[in-house]
Amino acid sequence: MDDRAEMLGPEKAGRETAFSRPFADTAPAVAPAVGRRRGRGWMERSEVRSLYLLAAFLVAAYALPFVIGIRYGTVRWDAEWLGYLGTVVLSGFLQGGVYAMFAVGLTMIFGVMRIINAAHGEWVMMGAYLTWAAFFYLGVDPLLSLVFTLPIAFVFGMVVQKLLLNAVVGQPELTGLLVTFGLGLTMIYVAELIFTTDFRTIPYAPHSVQITDSIAVSQNKLISFTMALAISVGVYFLLKLTRIGKAIRATALNAEVAMVCGVNVGLIYLITTGIAASLAVAGGALVSIQFGFNPETGIIYTLQAFTIIILGGRGHYLGALIGGFMLAVLESLVSLMIPNGTAMVELAAYGLLIAVLLIRPGGLMGVKEG
Amino acid sequence: MMPDANGIALEARDLRKAFGGVHAVDGCSFAVPRGKICGLIGPNGSGKTTTFNLLTGLAQPDGGQVLHDGVDIAGLKPYRIFRRGITRTFQITRVFREMTVLENMLSVTGLAVPDRVARERAGELIALVNLTHLRGEYGGRLSYGQQKLLEFARALMTDPDVILLDEPAAGVNRTLLQQLLEQIHRLQETGKTILIVEHDMNVIMNHCERIFVMDYGVKIAEGPPSEIQGNERVIEAYFGRRQSGVVHAG
Repeated sequence: MDDRAEMLGPEKAGRETAFSRPFADTAPAVAPAVGRRRGRGWMERSEVRSLYLLAAFLVAAYALPFVIGIRYGTVRWDAEWLGYLGTVVLSGFLQGGVYAMFAVGLTMIFGVMRIINAAHGEWVMMGAYLTWAAFFYLGVDPLLSLVFTLPIAFVFGMVVQKLLLNAVVGQPELTGLLVTFGLGLTMIYVAELIFTTDFRTIPYAPHSVQITDSIAVSQNKLISFTMALAISVGVYFLLKLTRIGKAIRATALNAEVAMVCGVNVGLIYLITTGIAASLAVAGGALVSIQFGFNPETGIIYTLQAFTIIILGGRGHYLGALIGGFMLAVLESLVSLMIPNGTAMVELAAYGLLIAVLLIRPGGLMGVKEG
Repeated sequence: MMPDANGIALEARDLRKAFGGVHAVDGCSFAVPRGKICGLIGPNGSGKTTTFNLLTGLAQPDGGQVLHDGVDIAGLKPYRIFRRGITRTFQITRVFREMTVLENMLSVTGLAVPDRVARERAGELIALVNLTHLRGEYGGRLSYGQQKLLEFARALMTDPDVILLDEPAAGVNRTLLQQLLEQIHRLQETGKTILIVEHDMNVIMNHCERIFVMDYGVKIAEGPPSEIQGNERVIEAYFGRRQSGVVHAG
């Protein structure tokens, strides 16, 4: 028996000396080396290389609108044009906050259940219609209506989880993708049935706020950004500080272990999708006061949310935030400088999506380990 | 919960679990007496970890019963079994790598205590396994041995009744192991029941009061260490393979 232990010994012992020492004296030895690397371990060389490549690509992507703009003479470098540039970059940034917020919902569902929610944009669209209906039929202020649209969204998310997603958790990712794609299509047709395909808008705080002499952004953008920021920060603290948040993160990191730590994983799934749907609907409310929408606009938001979380790294909340800002600013540059730019905005999202998948499928932060 | 009259904390009765055509656990029965440290051993692939999964609800048994305090808990959801006071650790440590040590402790739910009390308890347990200086560090940054300690401490968060330890000694150095074993004995003194799966025979033979031996999904022997050491079936099933395959074991 003893030699059995010894036979096992050297390998284990070797591992031990390499990685640790008796724990009484670990503090001084480990702490400096450990730093604050967020537990991600050392990157491999290929990882680093793909990160550099992605960074280089992003620089090129941001430079491209300028190059094309100079070619077509839309870039002028005078004070007036620089004012435009400042304005679009700023409003792009503000828009990015809203994008990031609803992309966080997508990343949450992916992180916790490994399901890619292809109906996410339709949830955003649903938020826009809920807000619109509250505004036109009940005369409720679009921001105030969040008080009851968010609970509706939460319940909606839980119902979707119960009826559809529970059946596909743990299945191959394609299954979840197809189911949610079907859900998205259904929602589009239901919305067309109820609201027709007409474009709707909600006139809300359309005035501009002058930031400097030449830079001005509209009020509703500032309001949207502030709301999105507040909601995102709220969700962050929910995840970071509360017990339910810890349970959600625990489930995302390892569902099986979470189970034996007493986490009711089924309940966590319900709550996660509820929160994700609420974020999407809040996003819908915030875009509805800025842009027109019809039942099919959701697809664009799905695409944007996909691009954002692929760029940021699936399952990463911070990645979703960074991705949101990056995409929105790129879009605003494209719409300013490239001729027919507003139509090319979608191309920016598609291009970014494909390029990131080719260069570094994990995105900026890498896919969260399961 | 009234303790069972026989003083049996946890009992498996004719447990069965097959994966495809492989009968990982094939009619296994054993009873863990209350307040004892028991060992569950057997060659690789004998079904020990599957048994643990069946006991904790991570796998659904195809047949048989799991009795905790005389109540059948087979097939219950893992969190329900957890809330009955059965916790476990894993063979390969599974701390939440991207949570701090303290967050790992607090991720345990089902504590019917206020947050402040939970934090205090987490702090005490972290101190118990001497990780206080690392409480703000991410789980993934700890050494393997420290992760084992963290997992052990996490399993104690709810003051459980039965603690299942899957290979607590693997990859842990001697000093650490001694401290871990001391803690295990201290737990036993407070009336906890402990079941250990372990390949390190020193740990099993010196610290367990009763040993169950599994092979091919069934219990082939049971008794105190002295009996098990001389049991022919065990030697045949276990030590008889020493020449051929034991190097790869564990």
